Amino acid sequence: MKNIFLAMFIASISLVSCKKEELNPNPTVPVVPVIVNYTTLGTDTTANNEIVTLYSLTSEIKTGYNKTFITVKDLSGIAITNATVVFEPLMDMGMMQHASPVENPIYNSDIEKYEGVVIYTMSSLSGVWTLGVNVNGSSVSFGITVLESPTQVVRSFTGTDGEIYIITLVPPSTWNVGMNELEIMINKKTSMMSFPADNDFTAVLTPEMVSMAHGSPNNISPVLVGNGHYKGTVNLTMTGDWRLHLELSKAGVVINTDTYLDILF
Amino acid sequence: MDNQNILIVISFLFSGFSFAQEDSTSQKKEILIQEVRIIGVKFNEIKTPDLQQQTDKVLSEISGVTLIKRGNYAQEPTIRGLNSGQLSSTLDGMHIFGACTDRMDPISSYVEPNNLNSIQLNLGPTEEQSTTQVGGGLNFKLLKAIPNAEKLFSGRIGAGFETNALAIQSLGSLQYSRKKWALSVNGIFRKANNYYAGNREQILFSQYEKYNVGGSFTALLDSFNIIHVDYLQDNGKDIGYPALTMDVSFANAKIISIGHEYKKDSNRIYKMESKVYLNFIDHAMDDTKRPPETVPMHMDMPGTSRTVGFYSGGKLRVSHKQFIQFKITGFQNDLHAEMTMYPPIGKEMFMLTIPDARRSVIGLSVSDKLYFGSNINLSIGGRFEFVKSEITTLLGRQTLTSFYSGNPTKTNLLYNIFIQFEEKLGKKTMLYFGISKALRNPTLQEMYGFYLYNRVDGHDYLGNPMLKPESSWNGNLGMKYKTSKWNLNGQIYSYFFKDYIAGRVLADYSVMTIGGKGVKKYVNLSSAILYGAEFTLAWKPISKLSIQSMNSVSYAKDNDEDALPFIPPFKSVNAISYDLKETNIKLESIIGAQQKHVSTEKYGEKFTPSFYVFNIRAARKFKLGKTNLNCSLSIENILDAVYYEHLDVMKINRQGRNIIAHLTYNF
Repeated sequence: MKNIFLAMFIASISLVSCKKEELNPNPTVPVVPVIVNYTTLGTDTTANNEIVTLYSLTSEIKTGYNKTFITVKDLSGIAITNATVVFEPLMDMGMMQHASPVENPIYNSDIEKYEGVVIYTMSSLSGVWTLGVNVNGSSVSFGITVLESPTQVVRSFTGTDGEIYIITLVPPSTWNVGMNELEIMINKKTSMMSFPADNDFTAVLTPEMVSMAHGSPNNISPVLVGNGHYKGTVNLTMTGDWRLHLELSKAGVVINTDTYLDILF
Repeated sequence: MDNQNILIVISFLFSGFSFAQEDSTSQKKEILIQEVRIIGVKFNEIKTPDLQQQTDKVLSEISGVTLIKRGNYAQEPTIRGLNSGQLSSTLDGMHIFGACTDRMDPISSYVEPNNLNSIQLNLGPTEEQSTTQVGGGLNFKLLKAIPNAEKLFSGRIGAGFETNALAIQSLGSLQYSRKKWALSVNGIFRKANNYYAGNREQILFSQYEKYNVGGSFTALLDSFNIIHVDYLQDNGKDIGYPALTMDVSFANAKIISIGHEYKKDSNRIYKMESKVYLNFIDHAMDDTKRPPETVPMHMDMPGTSRTVGFYSGGKLRVSHKQFIQFKITGFQNDLHAEMTMYPPIGKEMFMLTIPDARRSVIGLSVSDKLYFGSNINLSIGGRFEFVKSEITTLLGRQTLTSFYSGNPTKTNLLYNIFIQFEEKLGKKTMLYFGISKALRNPTLQEMYGFYLYNRVDGHDYLGNPMLKPESSWNGNLGMKYKTSKWNLNGQIYSYFFKDYIAGRVLADYSVMTIGGKGVKKYVNLSSAILYGAEFTLAWKPISKLSIQSMNSVSYAKDNDEDALPFIPPFKSVNAISYDLKETNIKLESIIGAQQKHVSTEKYGEKFTPSFYVFNIRAARKFKLGKTNLNCSLSIENILDAVYYEHLDVMKINRQGRNIIAHLTYNF
């Protein structure tokens, strides 16, 4: 009888003490080294005999914010790491042509590639996309087929200031239930061919669960981090279709009361 | 028919005038379900327990217990207006926690009178406490197989029918008893359709169906050591909750335990009891049976609750004037609840409503009972407990970031202390009073719940991991008077709360539940107060006639002087019982006063009018050799009154006239 009591006492101690292993309860996602599979979109040689190869992270290019990579080599196959590279996307709609916002590539020695961003503002259903890559003043051009993203992750709007802006969601690797970092980019259309990053906005974020017309608490509206990028925090209380409403102001004046980006997870 | 018996036991058991029974106190009652035992004076005998009654029905007849009604099944017991978070409900000392986020499955819904030996009611911290709670609790004691019984085989079969909801039940039990061991099994099946309130108003979605089976094995190792193995399984299905927006497709519980008992009267430690146990509850809400126009969006809401635990305790005789009782208890409970919503267009939505929360508890209770002369006794005791609450999965921790950014793991050291004093003033009268200080940990729902909808106030509730333990100073003062014909017991009590846990509106938050009014978060109110009184009377002027009366009232308000919700108003249950030859006839009246002390704005409660209901019951036992046949016929709500009680969610009318026939054959 006493042994049973003792056994239970020991069991009770171990019941509590065996919990000690979980000393790191912070909701941080374990960092797993990501193996990136680059998709080669094409290779061409410039007039200066530089071999340019274009890569993306996915085999399908969709509207929105697309990380885009290139390598530059000379004819003997030796990588050139100090070239000046400029992205020149072009949408040919027949009646008109226009470019789209980009972040020009910078050489990243870790991945041995130039890394930049092209924001495709519409799908190839509207016309023909080409991505020109200008290396040290000499261009090559790649045809790109852009599919429509399943949700609205990029859109243009005309502010009450009469200017046209492009607002783009910078996608994270995954969306989780709970708090998520939210990053957006805003560019101003100064001409059909010029979309510089705009650093002068303030934003008010209001997420909405579209199917149920409710919101979520504790969101932090995105604020400027530089180069047209704005970072905040969005609270996604459940999976499903979320709409991120944004009220955008410039110099203290609201120039758009409600534009939005959509996410789905 | 045996309501009378239960009532009598309630009235007399705890009045325990003979101090020889050191177990009984004024703050502890035991309601016997299936045991013939004579307590105090002769007429307090349980003759023929009616095991076909619902557990809810048995509970509703205990003074101090009021049920929150959401349907015709699985009503939630409250004690003196204290809710489930403030009470500790156990099954044979085992902790079990319902899996439903809408409180559809209190643990009383997983047991049947057929399984039970007795129900213990604790009105505050007592020797019996197995976790720290401000309001005591209920312990459902399981019926055990008894070795060396009079008959090798014994048991019963029975069936019953109710006209109102066309309810049927059939039960059976069988015990096989050898000299050194015994095995018993019991089972019950219940099925009911929608019930009808007064004036033949059909209450849609009030049906239920369940079966419950129990098994008990007992082995005598030697004269002092006994081993028990108990198993209980309860499977409910297609249960309607007219007061809620969803029903239940299934509610299943599996409960298993192995226990050891040691008894040797000559030892200093004359009793030891230990148990290890495991239980699992699987629960799923369902809206597919509701008319489409009342379901804005189809959803699935399953939940599970798993508890493992143990306890071990004993009783120590210091002298014949002093007894020490001690008990170490530990358990771990894991709750998971989720919701998937299916919009007509768009992707389904998934969320955790209890984000994989775990509670681990270990504690030690010690109490000391002292007798001073033959007239005074004193109980002093306490419990110290370590509680850890945490979130066990990554998805759960991510979900919690929605409303809480700190470390979700919380630990608390809690304690309860009590002192209870009883003094006999002459031969017939006893005075008692007690004081206790009690703390309770917030529940896992109160800490981590995520948009749990409360139909009463129409708000979604968010948990708050920062909640402090709720504490309370409790006091009770009472007097008993007992003669061979009279038994009176009057008691007043009060609970002075500090850090009372309640919901507070978060004004800017958008409500998740379609049609909801807002979002509330659990917070600690600086204070709250609850007080009330109970009075029971039993009078037996002649041996064939007895009259009982059970009266209770509670009053409660928060720190802003606003009425707290779910506080039962004055209620009086009176019965007159007469033995007409072999037949016992009983007339019963239930009177409920109006409740106008409500905070509609703050807690969503509305005024409840008064009501009265009359019942009549007749019961007869036919002896057939060594076996017997019990028959009973009752008419409840004879006048077909249209009424509801204050704790009835959504104020849905209760059953109208109902004719109940039960037939049980005992062998």
